[in-house]
Amino acid sequence: MKDNFDFERIWESKRALRERLATAPIAEKLRMLDALHERAAAIRGARFREATAVQEKPGGYGDRKEKTS
Amino acid sequence: MKILEVIHVVNQMVADGVIERYAIAGAVGATFYLEPVSTLDVDIFIELHATPGSALLTLDPIFSYLRDRGCMMEGEHVVISGWPVQFIPPTSPLVEEALANAAEMQVDGLSARVFTPEYLAAIALQTGRAKDKARLLQFIEAHALDRKKFEELVERHQLVDKWRQFQKQFPSNE
Repeated sequence: MKDNFDFERIWESKRALRERLATAPIAEKLRMLDALHERAAAIRGARFREATAVQEKPGGYGDRKEKTS
Repeated sequence: MKILEVIHVVNQMVADGVIERYAIAGAVGATFYLEPVSTLDVDIFIELHATPGSALLTLDPIFSYLRDRGCMMEGEHVVISGWPVQFIPPTSPLVEEALANAAEMQVDGLSARVFTPEYLAAIALQTGRAKDKARLLQFIEAHALDRKKFEELVERHQLVDKWRQFQKQFPSNE
């Protein structure tokens, strides 16, 4: 169990990743920003579609159709 | 969506005399020195020409130049190559100085003016929102600052109290 959750090792690997990213060539980092931005825009677009979509709501208890005859 | 295209357009604005000089700030500016962090827009500080015959400084020439080139307005942003870009005149003596002392960087054969890390960090300290504090911490943890230059800026721009408060809030392990 301890081997699976060795937080020191997890932090160390995160720190190493951040360092690798920070020292990457600038052009590469800017391309990553482009990709992050596109992803964020897609998520925002999906949220907007969700919020504005017409949704069918289930009828409540006791809802009845008016009888026409 | 390409930041490099944004930089190309802004360089062209300088060449065409629409703006005098510029410097990239915010998260995009910080990415030149730190790991990339997702951001919604590009902040570009600019030195403006006064309109001939007027002492008024206005962003209108920038907007009309970009509109003529097919860019759309989105609130206070102009969308260039898919990126909302905000053009901001200097808001404090610190930012004015940062603009004058910006670093000229080369990216893929393109020249880009960017605030130096010490100015980005000092502006983050001055602005003081949660995300600015997080950025300042990033600069410190990544050892991306010349501490002597940074502390000299802190002192000269009356940020000593804010810096002390920040250090108390985020004690360093160094």
